[in-house]
Amino acid sequence: MPSKAAADTPLFAEREEWADVQPLEQYEGVNPIAPIFYSPEYKDATGYFRAIVQAGEKSARVLELTENIIRQNPAHYSAWCYRYETLLALLPPPAEDADAGAQPDIPPLLAAELALMDELAVTFLKTYQVWHHRRLLVPLARQPRRELAFIQRGLAVDAKNYHTWSYRQWLLAACYGRGAAADPAMPDAVLDEAAGVWAGELDFVDAALAQDVRNNSAWHHRFFVVYGARGQADSEAERARIFRRELIYTKQNIAIAPSNPSAWNYLRGVLRETNTPFAAVQDFARLYAYPHSADETRDVVDLDNPAPGADAELPCVQAMEFLADAWETEAGAEMWKSLANEHDTIRRQYWEHRIRDAHQTIKPAVE
Amino acid sequence: MTQLPRLSRAGHAAHCKRCLSGLPASQTDIDGSRLALAFYCIGSLDLLGIVEEQVSLQERNLWKQWLWEQQTHGKYGTGFRPSPFMTAQHISSKEQEQVESEYGSYDTPHIIMTYTALISLAILRDDFATLDRAGLLRFLSTCQREDGSFSTVPGSNESDLRTLYCAFAISSMLNDWSGVNVPRAISFINTCRTYEGGYGQSPFCEAQGGTTYIALASLKLASDAFGRTGYLTPSQQQETVQWLLRNQASSGGFCGRTGKDADACYCFWCGAALKILGAEDLVDSNALASFLGRCQFKYGGISKAPGENPDPYHTYLSLAALAMYPPHLSDTDDNARSWRLDALDPLLNAREETTLWIRRHIPVPSNGPS
Repeated sequence: MPSKAAADTPLFAEREEWADVQPLEQYEGVNPIAPIFYSPEYKDATGYFRAIVQAGEKSARVLELTENIIRQNPAHYSAWCYRYETLLALLPPPAEDADAGAQPDIPPLLAAELALMDELAVTFLKTYQVWHHRRLLVPLARQPRRELAFIQRGLAVDAKNYHTWSYRQWLLAACYGRGAAADPAMPDAVLDEAAGVWAGELDFVDAALAQDVRNNSAWHHRFFVVYGARGQADSEAERARIFRRELIYTKQNIAIAPSNPSAWNYLRGVLRETNTPFAAVQDFARLYAYPHSADETRDVVDLDNPAPGADAELPCVQAMEFLADAWETEAGAEMWKSLANEHDTIRRQYWEHRIRDAHQTIKPAVE
Repeated sequence: MTQLPRLSRAGHAAHCKRCLSGLPASQTDIDGSRLALAFYCIGSLDLLGIVEEQVSLQERNLWKQWLWEQQTHGKYGTGFRPSPFMTAQHISSKEQEQVESEYGSYDTPHIIMTYTALISLAILRDDFATLDRAGLLRFLSTCQREDGSFSTVPGSNESDLRTLYCAFAISSMLNDWSGVNVPRAISFINTCRTYEGGYGQSPFCEAQGGTTYIALASLKLASDAFGRTGYLTPSQQQETVQWLLRNQASSGGFCGRTGKDADACYCFWCGAALKILGAEDLVDSNALASFLGRCQFKYGGISKAPGENPDPYHTYLSLAALAMYPPHLSDTDDNARSWRLDALDPLLNAREETTLWIRRHIPVPSNGPS
């Protein structure tokens, strides 16, 4: 949505400092399809922009012009691209004798750009271009921690925004991932903080899930942090420790909200990633796959298999599906029947298909 | 099932025609993707089967002319730009000709617009005599990056699975894959697969219905072209089908990510992905139609969810979903006829007849299937 702010400032055509530029109107040759009835402000600014681009001018006023256009149309990718190139032309070159590994000072022009992007990213949270421009600034500023803090603020506005999470994942992989250590331009200070940053990401996920345990973006991020970005740990003992930690973490969160598809998907993901048969957690899944029974005893607390609360809605469809996948095919058939006829009727055709195929091609999901 | 309302075909057609005739200033952010919007409008008319019957020959010719005018040539090869939004009007016609003969660095073709332009022109049954096929291949090759992905415009860092699909779809339409490095692109697709069984937009990203369609359609286009199968193992395929089916919410609509609300566009993205995997019989199509029926706006057009404002993107994708998943209604149902649409090719995302036209007219004549 174009911002109304542009209407408060004078047109470029009315400004003394732009008098030397002859604006270029947009070409519309033949009968246009879906023409946009532009506002006078947009026509004005883009007219000057076409002229500037044609002249190849990359000066400070170009930053003002492109900002004006971006506020009216944040998806104007040419304005973003030209802005970036102008910025590069205006920024002082890196000092010749500077230590490549040192943390650079941020020139005022770049600081201003970062501040502007902090504002625009929140205003235009769903626009691709805003995020791509931001990525371009990261190698110039080389301050990924600042970015992590910014993302946290952005997620407070929209906790599941795809662009925001993607940016965090890209940033972490680029600055603290396997490739970053080999990058000679990466400041030592950034590399030194990697271990702490990754540990902090687990707390970050915890906080997001404490807000909303069904936030799939946060679950996905956990998988990325634990397994995705850096692969599995080198030592077997460490791998086993992480596996145990992830298993208990997931089970505890399922106990809080049993019908949470994100947590069950995560459980499946951890088991597959570690080549663990689903059957290894069937004792846990069983607690959730049947209705509450009268003889439920809660005196024995099994830390490995946290039980659902007395008020949990059981049976839980995800647990039923999980068990059916874990079991030998025929034992699962009863479960599928119950899903098809009672508990998950929208997928009736699918469950019936599983029953039909039980003797044929499809094996349990982990082989 | 409860009674379905009518699919208000005339209303949806009118919505699209209105958008084709002009957009208000509040839609200025469409400027850099106008051709895609035109495709959603023209494509909706095609799915409704009324392009020839309700759009005059003269109007169709004007549309073609405008679409061809977006084909531009230059140092990165040939393709289609979104609109002349970066093209300047010149005083003399001689100067104009000069500018038009070669695009500038900020007025280049765009890979997504190129894909949508080719489909739109095929819907209008163009003969593609003026298509610069060699230039198009060069453009694709300029857009491909080191990691196998493709940028939206040459040299941009904006790249993800969407653009890769466009490169594959264009190669398939041309029946010529020499513009792309296929193994490298496929390894990029594989890095986007997630533990949930879907695909994210870029490496490390969360599984999402739209990009999962894009990934699966790309793999299928490549396997059709090279006669190679097995890009997915049987258990991977099973995981993907399961994840996609779980995205159908109790409302009947599909959500794009685990735990999100249903949205009309994901009825297409997830539905088409399931169809590509041969799992279309497992979808509850009556529930899907009833959700989309509720997304209809009373003055025409379909919106992302009931009660929201319609737009051509959701209108087109909803109709495309219905073309693949028609509701099972008895013939005695008065509304049954309104829901009948021609079959859709889920790979190129066009009506099957339009795909046939593409196969016959876009490849280089000597290179194409006879």
